[in-house]
Amino acid sequence: MKMPCARLIPVCLLLALPGAALSAEISVDATSIVSFEQRAYTGAPKKDIVPATQFLGLDAAKLADGNLSLHVYGWGRGDILDKSYNNDQFAGSLTYGYLQYRFKAANADVRAGRFFVHEGIVNEQIDGASFRTDLPLGFGLSAFGGANVHTKKLYNENSDGKGSGNFGGRLNYRYKGVLELGASGQYETNAPALVNYPTVNHRLAGGDVWFSPHKSVELMGHTSYNTVTKGVAEHSYLMNVKPLQHLVLTGEYNDHRERNYFYSWASFSGAALSPAEKSHSLGGRASYGVSKAVEIAADYKHYTREIGNADRYGADIKLSFLNNSVRSGLGYHYLRAGKEFAIGGTPSASYHEMRGYIMHDSRIYFVAVDAIGYLFKEKVNSEKAAWEAMASLGYHITPDLALSGDFSYGRNPQFTEEVKGLARLTYNMTFDSKGGKK
Amino acid sequence: MKFFQQIFPALALAGLIMILAACAQMKTIPGLPASHPETLAAGQQVSCTECHEDNQKGTLKAYNAFNHSPAFVKNHRFYASSDERLCSTCHKSSFCNDCHTNQVEMKPSIKYGNRPDRDMPHRGNFMTMHKIEGKLDPASCYRCHGRANNERCITCHR
Repeated sequence: MKMPCARLIPVCLLLALPGAALSAEISVDATSIVSFEQRAYTGAPKKDIVPATQFLGLDAAKLADGNLSLHVYGWGRGDILDKSYNNDQFAGSLTYGYLQYRFKAANADVRAGRFFVHEGIVNEQIDGASFRTDLPLGFGLSAFGGANVHTKKLYNENSDGKGSGNFGGRLNYRYKGVLELGASGQYETNAPALVNYPTVNHRLAGGDVWFSPHKSVELMGHTSYNTVTKGVAEHSYLMNVKPLQHLVLTGEYNDHRERNYFYSWASFSGAALSPAEKSHSLGGRASYGVSKAVEIAADYKHYTREIGNADRYGADIKLSFLNNSVRSGLGYHYLRAGKEFAIGGTPSASYHEMRGYIMHDSRIYFVAVDAIGYLFKEKVNSEKAAWEAMASLGYHITPDLALSGDFSYGRNPQFTEEVKGLARLTYNMTFDSKGGKK
Repeated sequence: MKFFQQIFPALALAGLIMILAACAQMKTIPGLPASHPETLAAGQQVSCTECHEDNQKGTLKAYNAFNHSPAFVKNHRFYASSDERLCSTCHKSSFCNDCHTNQVEMKPSIKYGNRPDRDMPHRGNFMTMHKIEGKLDPASCYRCHGRANNERCITCHR
């Protein structure tokens, strides 16, 4: 079933743009970026890449009776010199464009157009419509339906592997501020016939939970089930314990049955994976806000796959000074991983990761310096490290308009050296705003 | 199957009555405001409990669950999947879609190179690092690149 009607919805929304001018509250976000990059691949001539990109967003609230709003965001790019990606000299995308009507009660709303659905186990972008509301006795209901928004076509295929239609929703129940249970699912239709990959639909059902018997304890997570392969796809659960006001101890468990989870991931032939393939990760994190100006965190995670296991651990510190106008951070992590996870014939995948940054944002100017380095236990393509340093300097022309430039230099096994520059003009304006949305 | 066919009209009628009863009570169920009444400072890790009483009202979860601690930021997907309407009182959709979108034009860490304080994925030379990270935890790739945002992937993965 093709869904041309659903495709027309975002187009029709563009016709509503002039009406948006009559709304009581309009906000415009525009970012223009011209970047300059010189890429040097090992054994290949250098490439000069100069893409010009425009990001543009418009939010018009309080339309019609005051409960209707319009939200549009997208980008367009043109390559001035060498092509930056693939064979496209020009590219663009409508990220989202939808009309939303918010009812005054019950958190009810209706959306129509191109938008994202993030409900329970469902994460999709569709051209269509959705409805959501709270119901009496703690229940809630959401539903969506429409055409899938497609991404780039797979190599030598006439499709990205996604089907044409997508429907689903979530039913939830909340008991006071203690418990939430949810059941959600999605049903994709008409998966395309592919030449090099199996034809499969993305159909999932699952449940999610949030349980907080005391304000210092939270358990949350979800389990999804692939209704096509008839097997559990994912368990993903998290527990937070807050013994002190600014101390959060987190435990996390993830389990993936890879064929069921990656089944519709055509470009990686997910449907061809062995049903026995599975992976787990188990980790913990402690974060503590020493004061408003100092935040420290330490974390550990253990990964288990059929091919081997690995551990990652490290710590971060974030600092802020001068009423938050100066912000900085330092981080260190170490990944212990064997040759099973390594690049090419390298005997180890272990590496140290180090990062440090500092930035200052005044009413007149803003400046930032950021450096990140990966130090490999064993050389990769004869390089001992991959690192990048970046400096950014900007000027607030007006409170809503800013001009800035970034420069970065790095060396790594992929490109030997990377030199990048960027000029950025940002405009963020809200007319008659009473609230704050970023 | 026959049994279900026989009881379907009764179930449908019961369902319709319940929906009508629910709709009649809808106006009494409170809703969140469209946007946060106060503008929040950029770059500040928001602590909801600084202003809001740390208790729950109705079916709202306790405000301290949404304090933007490093743990919350790292695991925000769990909260967004059931409380997206609460997120949207402060964040525009574009705030999420800088990373979670169908086609990302440039790495968020490059778009916001002037904001190193923001947690962004794939900083530095991730082109090299993804060859390790992808084998280590492919599910973390799939979440963002499995059903969307595959332009960089299919350039090499064929």
